[in-house]
Amino acid sequence: MSRHTSQAFTLRAAAVLIGTVLASGAQAAVPTEPETPNVATLASPNPGWFYVRGGFDTAGTQIVDSATGKMVGMVDTSRTSDMAVDPAGKFYYVSETIWSKGNRGTRQDLLSIYDANSLKLQTEVSFPGRLIIGAQVNNFAISPDGKSAYIFNLTPAASVNIVDLGKRKFARNVELPGCAGLMPIAEGLVSVCSDGSLASLNLSGGKAEITRSVPFFSATNDPVFDAYNYSVRRKEAVFLSYTGLIYMAKIGLKPEVAAPFSIQAAAGLRPGDTKPLDVNWLPGGRQLTAWHHASNHLYVLMHIGEFWTQKDPGEEIWDVDLSAKKVVKRFPLEDHIDNIEVTQGDKPKLFVNTGKNDGYILDLATWTLGPKIGAIGGGIIATVEAP
Amino acid sequence: MKLFNPDAAAEKLLRRFAGGTSRRGMLARLGGALVAAPVFPLLPVSRAGAAKPDRSPEAKTAFARKAQTVDDTKCDYWRYCAIDGALCSCCGGGIHTCPPGAESSPVSWVGTCMNPEDGKAYMIAYRDCCGKPMCTQCMCDNQDRETPLYVPQLNNNIIWCFGTQSMEYHCSTAVMVGPA
Repeated sequence: MSRHTSQAFTLRAAAVLIGTVLASGAQAAVPTEPETPNVATLASPNPGWFYVRGGFDTAGTQIVDSATGKMVGMVDTSRTSDMAVDPAGKFYYVSETIWSKGNRGTRQDLLSIYDANSLKLQTEVSFPGRLIIGAQVNNFAISPDGKSAYIFNLTPAASVNIVDLGKRKFARNVELPGCAGLMPIAEGLVSVCSDGSLASLNLSGGKAEITRSVPFFSATNDPVFDAYNYSVRRKEAVFLSYTGLIYMAKIGLKPEVAAPFSIQAAAGLRPGDTKPLDVNWLPGGRQLTAWHHASNHLYVLMHIGEFWTQKDPGEEIWDVDLSAKKVVKRFPLEDHIDNIEVTQGDKPKLFVNTGKNDGYILDLATWTLGPKIGAIGGGIIATVEAP
Repeated sequence: MKLFNPDAAAEKLLRRFAGGTSRRGMLARLGGALVAAPVFPLLPVSRAGAAKPDRSPEAKTAFARKAQTVDDTKCDYWRYCAIDGALCSCCGGGIHTCPPGAESSPVSWVGTCMNPEDGKAYMIAYRDCCGKPMCTQCMCDNQDRETPLYVPQLNNNIIWCFGTQSMEYHCSTAVMVGPA
């Protein structure tokens, strides 16, 4: 051993010794005092949070902070239930169906109201029934003033059950023949119908009045997805058809739907077609579009296929500037994605998830995909609008 | 007070009609109509039915082009063109049979699937079997002519366990209804 190496060895030995002393000091700081177990509370609903459902047949909605990718809590959503957030941020509403003996016994349809901070159950309101489906967007909504809950029901006759959230009591059932989906407006709600029209339900008077717009799409030739995007604040919706036509609409008692444009044409490609053997980029998935309201960009899950592949997962995300009617970015995905949602702040992030319950956060400022978040849930995703 | 008598009113109307027409005149008019009949086109419904449906590969969906008729425990079995869920044929039941202990739903969604053997389209009723935990065998999600929720009879995301004791979903069958 040379003198030089011997010195280095001594230095290293000294470093190890110091490290050991420091480690033992740190060990002494490990708490050993007896503790009292407690329960955490949650901050109020945050526009930077993603609410991620488990997959079909799975309970629970994990809340993920888009800033850290970490889970901050869970809303108690039972299997096949629907969740909505109080516009004032005080409550989580869960519209659910349970049976008195697990999977049998007496059926109970309940609106369960949870405090947004303690996540403790406040009360349950019974109502006459709801559609049971493997968690799908647009079937449960809160009125803009936060005073009414609208629950879509299918027996299989379509109707909406209305719960008065002030009195916390079931108010009434209103028929919605041939229509589905709920877009709440100040006077009531608007729904999409099988004749290609929008039905406006005026609930402001004593008797519910229904009016229908001029049909704007064909439910048999090229239907619009029922997982459309709606902004309560903007009173606007974006509909996308199976072939890829994008319709922007003003939503109210008299809705106005603008002429559609093709998402493929907006990307410089041939528009989608219904013909067999016509292979093209087509929209598909479960919750297949996310709309960032302030920038007016729509993020769409796209895959290569023929018509009647509307549930195929996304292979790319297409970023559509709705104002310019242009696809400004195409982002390839390694995992095939079923659902997509966006935060509504000024630095939006996307959350996407797969049928295998894996999720990713995508920062739209840099288009960088964060690390895979395993076992996060493969169901629908919700965000809240900025206060 | 004189009440309205429908019998008397009808009799008066018919008598007036009979008085103004002759049997021979009626026959002449009927005969004229019969002779002229071929000149008029038949009812539109009949004409549409008379046109032969296009069964060429160019008219078939991607599913129909690849469908098989041998193994009903596979997602590409021809009758499953619009099925979504677990196949009851993999869960102790069959193509139109619920597994033991499950309850067949009285209602269903429907699909129109093409039989590769005879090239004809058939209506298939997808009846869910309910009241037991989900059978996770042979999960399929086919999409031919599957529509959004506002056309519920063609939507396969709905849990079609209406009218059963429990709406818990177990699996799905594909019951033959008849030629489409």
